Amino acid sequence: MSTKHTIAAARFLKNKENEAWHDHTLWMVRTKRDKMSHSLPEWERLRELASEIKLYSNSHLDTLLEEFEKNAIANGAIVHWAKDAEEHNEIVLRILRQHEARNLIKSKSMLTEECHMNEFLMSKGIDVVESDLGERILQLMHLAPSHIVMPAIHIKREQISEMMEREMGTEKGNIDPTYLTHAARKNLREKFLHADVAMTGVNFAVASTGEIVVCTNEGNADMGTSFPKVHIATMGMEKIVPNLEALGVFTRLLARSGTGQPVTSYTSHYRRPPEGQEFHIIIVDNGRSDILAKPDHIRTLNCIRCGECMNTCPVYRRSGGYSYTYFIPGPIGINLGMLRNPEEYSDNVSACSLCLSCSNVCPVKIDLGEQIYRWRQDLDKIGKASKEKKVMSFGMKFLMERPGLFNTALKFAPVVNHLPRFMVYNGLNAWGKGRELPAFAKESFNDMWKKNKVR
Amino acid sequence: MSSRDSILASIRRHTGVRHEMPELTLEAITYADKLATFSEVLAGAGGKAIELRPGEDVNEVIRREFPEAKRIASNLKEITCATFNPDELTDPRELNGTDVSVVEGSFGVVENAAVWLPRQVRYKGLYFISNALVILLDKTQLVHTMNEAYRRTASMDYDYGVFMSGPSKTADIEQALVFGAHGPIQVVVLLK
Ligand code: SF4
Repeated sequence: MSTKHTIAAARFLKNKENEAWHDHTLWMVRTKRDKMSHSLPEWERLRELASEIKLYSNSHLDTLLEEFEKNAIANGAIVHWAKDAEEHNEIVLRILRQHEARNLIKSKSMLTEECHMNEFLMSKGIDVVESDLGERILQLMHLAPSHIVMPAIHIKREQISEMMEREMGTEKGNIDPTYLTHAARKNLREKFLHADVAMTGVNFAVASTGEIVVCTNEGNADMGTSFPKVHIATMGMEKIVPNLEALGVFTRLLARSGTGQPVTSYTSHYRRPPEGQEFHIIIVDNGRSDILAKPDHIRTLNCIRCGECMNTCPVYRRSGGYSYTYFIPGPIGINLGMLRNPEEYSDNVSACSLCLSCSNVCPVKIDLGEQIYRWRQDLDKIGKASKEKKVMSFGMKFLMERPGLFNTALKFAPVVNHLPRFMVYNGLNAWGKGRELPAFAKESFNDMWKKNKVR
Repeated sequence: MSSRDSILASIRRHTGVRHEMPELTLEAITYADKLATFSEVLAGAGGKAIELRPGEDVNEVIRREFPEAKRIASNLKEITCATFNPDELTDPRELNGTDVSVVEGSFGVVENAAVWLPRQVRYKGLYFISNALVILLDKTQLVHTMNEAYRRTASMDYDYGVFMSGPSKTADIEQALVFGAHGPIQVVVLLK
């Protein structure tokens, strides 16, 4: 992480008010999700189906991707395959160069973050413009996202106002979100109209029809692809769903889980390029096919990037996305980081109280908390277990091996007090400062939960 | 070996148990009053449903809803209040500055107030670029859920289509909800 992130994170976390706001706001989103899930009697059945469909598709990636490719090509798309981040970025650059493009308008994509694509393209002289408002704000502030769905959740309106005054000439001191949003709308409108190439992520790729589906609330993906002559859509290969009927299960779960909306404003289906437009689809592996060989962790490929496991996680809510060392924070990020490089990202596995709230709400039923527990046990093998971590692993093992005791066992809360200090920025120990969790020592989490003391 | 072949080979090498595709059986929710629920959910998404009264002309309603509108785009014959036909433009960028666009929806989804818009205009940008979007919808064309919706679209051919639920929105500034991030600030579904 760059110094800039570190400074911003430290600034954010130093401020107790911000921290409380962050915690509270994300809990509100989680509450909205509950309201949504309770409004559908078939909710649990949908989760079950979603999980089973993903297990099917991720164990048939070879045939489904071939089917998808065949149909996409028949639709007039140009399909590329990228083994890793480097190849992905090269493909994008090649397309841009073919069209003598100087600027690229893009909608939000965690995959391009994973590939560090923006930095790469900018070093080659391409002007990359993020069009999701939160992403744009962060881009202009030279910061990274701290949440996968609400990327700028850690930034305050005063900071945005300051930046926009500088970058877009908005009124000094005007911090009204509507004013600021509409000023950004005006500013980005010009970028949309004059971009050379548009890029989007992919939420779902439908094998049986060869179409891709992009979900946004802002409509930025659709605005972006409406004017340039080239659209590049980039997808991790686990985005595949077998057919439209299966897709229906996911579009019912995605926004309800992530933001507590019945659906995103736009669920856009791109099948054939309009006349005169080129449509490129990049299918990216970058380590995904290796995960297939790890039965204990294969379910991480189910993830539809809804963000819910972050919203519900008591550690994430209180510590913020920058406290994790992998670019995806929260429970899913802990797991994906370990799959990427256990030596480098093992610090994150401590950022978990094993409350298992994430596993209970994940719309595709990834056993997030259980997997984190398994990683902790593996730390020894990779020579990463510090004494402190061993103490905790022992404590957690004790809890996990006695599922019947789990609730009352949480009264063994001193374990939580041995949480390693995973959030160290600039020598400032944020967890230690803001989160000694005194509450855990006195009352169990579930007791407090019942008394409505914990969110 | 091409990247394609080596990726596929890696997948085959690493795939263990091949899970079965589940039977997509689902007792999905149904709504007693589809029209009322659709309108309610649409309001929740920031949109507005207006049911046309018998004998009422859509143009009157559009004029009444948007008295200030100067540039009204539509390629529909019945929209006589349109000031231009967007399909006659040679460059979609000329759509910029449109106050109201009037388009036709294929069907609506009650559970989330989304309307299916398979592209029926020359430039799909029309669905996003104007300040307000009016969608004409046959009120008998409402399905309960997305599951049902996709059973319908499965038999349709489209190059581009969008399920649109209310106006463009963002909460990226401190989670304060603002309409009109990039797309329409207002969406009216006119139920005929
Ligand atoms: S792991 Fe589950 S809850 Fe977390 S982002 Fe992915 S789908 Fe959502």
